[in-house]
Amino acid sequence: MLRDITIGQYYPAESIIHRLDARVKLVITFFYILSLFFVNTFVGYLFVIFVLGLAVKASKVPLKFMLKGIKSIMIIILFTAGINIFMTQGDTVLFQKGIITITQEGVFLAIKMCIRLILLIIGSSILTLTTTPIQLTDGIEYLLRPWKKIGVPAHEIAMMMTIALRFIPTLLDETDKIMKAQQARGADFDTGNVIQKAKRLIPILVPLFISAFRRADDLAMAMEARCYHGDENRTRMNEMKYQKADYVAQVCLICYLGVIIALRVAAAKLPFFL
Amino acid sequence: MSIKINHLTHIYNRGTAFEKTALQDVTLEIEKGEFIGLIGHTGSGKSTLIQHLNGLISPTEGEILLDGVNIHGDKKNLRSVRQRIGLAFQYPEHQLFEMTVWKDVAFGPNNMKLSAEEVEQRVEQALQTVGIPKELYGKSPFELSGGQKRRVAIAGVLAMNPEVFILDEPTAGLDPKGRDEILDAIKALHEERKITVILVSHSMEDVAKLVDRIIVMHKGRVAMTGTPGEVFSRVEEIEKMGLAAPQISYVFAQLKAKGYPVPTDIYTTKDATKALMDLIGQVKLC
Amino acid sequence: MDMVKAEGLTYEYIKTIETDHGTEEEKVLALNHLDITVEKGSFIAVLGHNGSGKSTFAKHINALVKPTKGTIWVNGFDTNQEELVWDIRQSAGMVFQNPDNQLVATVVEEDIAFGPENLGVPPKEIRKRVDEALATVGMSEYTTHSPNRLSGGQKQRMAIAGVLAMKPDCIVLDEPTAMLDPVGRKEVMQTILRLNKEEGITMILITHYMDEAAMADDVYVIDDGNLVMHGTPKEIFSEVEQMKHYGLDVPQVTEVAYELRKQGIDIPKDILTVEEMVGAICRLK
Repeated sequence: MLRDITIGQYYPAESIIHRLDARVKLVITFFYILSLFFVNTFVGYLFVIFVLGLAVKASKVPLKFMLKGIKSIMIIILFTAGINIFMTQGDTVLFQKGIITITQEGVFLAIKMCIRLILLIIGSSILTLTTTPIQLTDGIEYLLRPWKKIGVPAHEIAMMMTIALRFIPTLLDETDKIMKAQQARGADFDTGNVIQKAKRLIPILVPLFISAFRRADDLAMAMEARCYHGDENRTRMNEMKYQKADYVAQVCLICYLGVIIALRVAAAKLPFFL
Repeated sequence: MSIKINHLTHIYNRGTAFEKTALQDVTLEIEKGEFIGLIGHTGSGKSTLIQHLNGLISPTEGEILLDGVNIHGDKKNLRSVRQRIGLAFQYPEHQLFEMTVWKDVAFGPNNMKLSAEEVEQRVEQALQTVGIPKELYGKSPFELSGGQKRRVAIAGVLAMNPEVFILDEPTAGLDPKGRDEILDAIKALHEERKITVILVSHSMEDVAKLVDRIIVMHKGRVAMTGTPGEVFSRVEEIEKMGLAAPQISYVFAQLKAKGYPVPTDIYTTKDATKALMDLIGQVKLC
Repeated sequence: MDMVKAEGLTYEYIKTIETDHGTEEEKVLALNHLDITVEKGSFIAVLGHNGSGKSTFAKHINALVKPTKGTIWVNGFDTNQEELVWDIRQSAGMVFQNPDNQLVATVVEEDIAFGPENLGVPPKEIRKRVDEALATVGMSEYTTHSPNRLSGGQKQRMAIAGVLAMKPDCIVLDEPTAMLDPVGRKEVMQTILRLNKEEGITMILITHYMDEAAMADDVYVIDDGNLVMHGTPKEIFSEVEQMKHYGLDVPQVTEVAYELRKQGIDIPKDILTVEEMVGAICRLK
């Protein structure tokens, strides 16, 4: 049921990638995503796929797990592909009927966009599958710290993420319970048109919101009772420390980015379909 | 209306790493008009069992017959099953959502597509049964006290006029006064409407006061069934299942062990006083 | 020194009520001139039905609520003084009713560390305190678990450990067992008793379960904001009629003893346990 939804699921395993510092992983993922938008040739994608393959192997997370994430956004991928196929103007027309025109450029662009999206999802799922939510929020808090001076609430963002992660399963359980309770009172969630269905959500949403507010209220008081007062003079039990592997990973990142840039420069000389 | 449960087994998340057998070959029969106490500690399978009765989950194996008809046989029947077998969940007040007490209680009957007069009559009757005074009908349910909210929520199920009424931990988290109000309402309901009531509870004292028959669940199976007297005289077995008999039952078990001629099927203070007066009287005769 | 001392503690708030003539404001006296003294190292229970004001009293001890009149000192600190609030919250920790709504982190040890982290305790010391606190409540094997899969009783023990890691002198528990099953209640009560007896931590238990109050050294009964009874559990529970008047229970054996006395049997009125009852009956012979 609702519990099967997985958000930022962590896959426990002993691997080099798991042991890397969350900050390093975040930075690598950030540049990796940027690099995807920089690559514009099939040769370039082949290189990215190769590097990603190595990372997947090193993470010891079964590929099946990562592909699961793609399944859930298949619609978005197909939609993007469709838009690219039909909307791209080009010289080499492959098919034309009425207002529909498909060009070779469009097909290539669509394929590239799909590859880009899939690589993006697999890449970022390596991050979430190998990093615990706590490490992730700590990493984000640390990386955002320099931005605090211009008013980015780094600590608050991290705290909110932690609390959200803590309460998502609780609220999913609660939703399940409320649904069952209203069903027991004869509520019907399955039949009817869209408007009727939306209306029928009220008996679920109202109690759910009330419960969420009640929990928020309780939690605020409990946090206050435990002397929470923002990040002023706050210490952490687990301090983050860079290991040797973290430095190696950073060097790898620089090499990777070097190759990507070199490929981009070389791309100018390649025929467009590569 | 009789309920017959035949070899009911339920396994959650079958075939995954989280596979868990919640019910194991449960066979039970509940007669019309019975007042049943269903006890067992958390994870004993009692919640899973009552959700089956209401058709909210389907058996992995086995069947539930309602007057001889399998309730999971035809999906179209499920809604009528839910009307005939009312289920009030634990902390039912968390499911209140309407603007007024009246409207919230009317939610169930309205879903049954009854006539306006019929709905009105049922809501009125349900609110009366649980003892909610008229001046509260137009109030927002969220303004009420904890005990009142719970009674309104229970009325919401009751207004569907179920033939069997299942209550999951109706007194959880209430103070003694709130608890007594709820239990009195349930008792009145059973006596006046002659409907079958299944009371799920951790509180042996509550169960002991009210029910005709107790079903004890343990590790997904029916471990014991019998009158409160029969069940509570087996203090030691109950303890082994992580449950406790009413305090007074222990007194009589210990007196019996010391060789006094006392009955062991005592579980209310009233019977206890009487039995002890008898005992003291007897000895004086000697 | 007293752990908690309340003198003329009064708390009033204004409630708006909807009437036929529009909204009206009504003053509610949640606590009315309470005088309560809790000695260090003792275990006291505060009984009262829902809405009696017992929770409001608990929140005063943690400076979550400030008195409108009167004073309450916690570990010698006056809660009216704003700058003492962190000292007060460090010396008197609080455990709440709903086990789900007081846990912050997604990993048990991270949650226990939350309090000491807020106090600015050095990382190594936090690690030590977290491990100790989890061991004290018997939850060491769950250090790296997610709280989501724990039972209610385990979550409450976690909440107690979270307070312990702040090294408090006193723990205020506001109906910690109200949402638990009998197994969970037992776990939590055993933990409370052990911490009181072995670690000498003052325990203030807010409850409406009479069997829990019966374990305390001292019982206070609050009704409509007034302190109406105070004494040892035996003194309190033997007043069967008064307890019922305040909407509270007495143990079954106490009630039976009361009924027997009414019928002219000479049996002590302050019987609380099964053993005492059996003993008293045997002595009658």
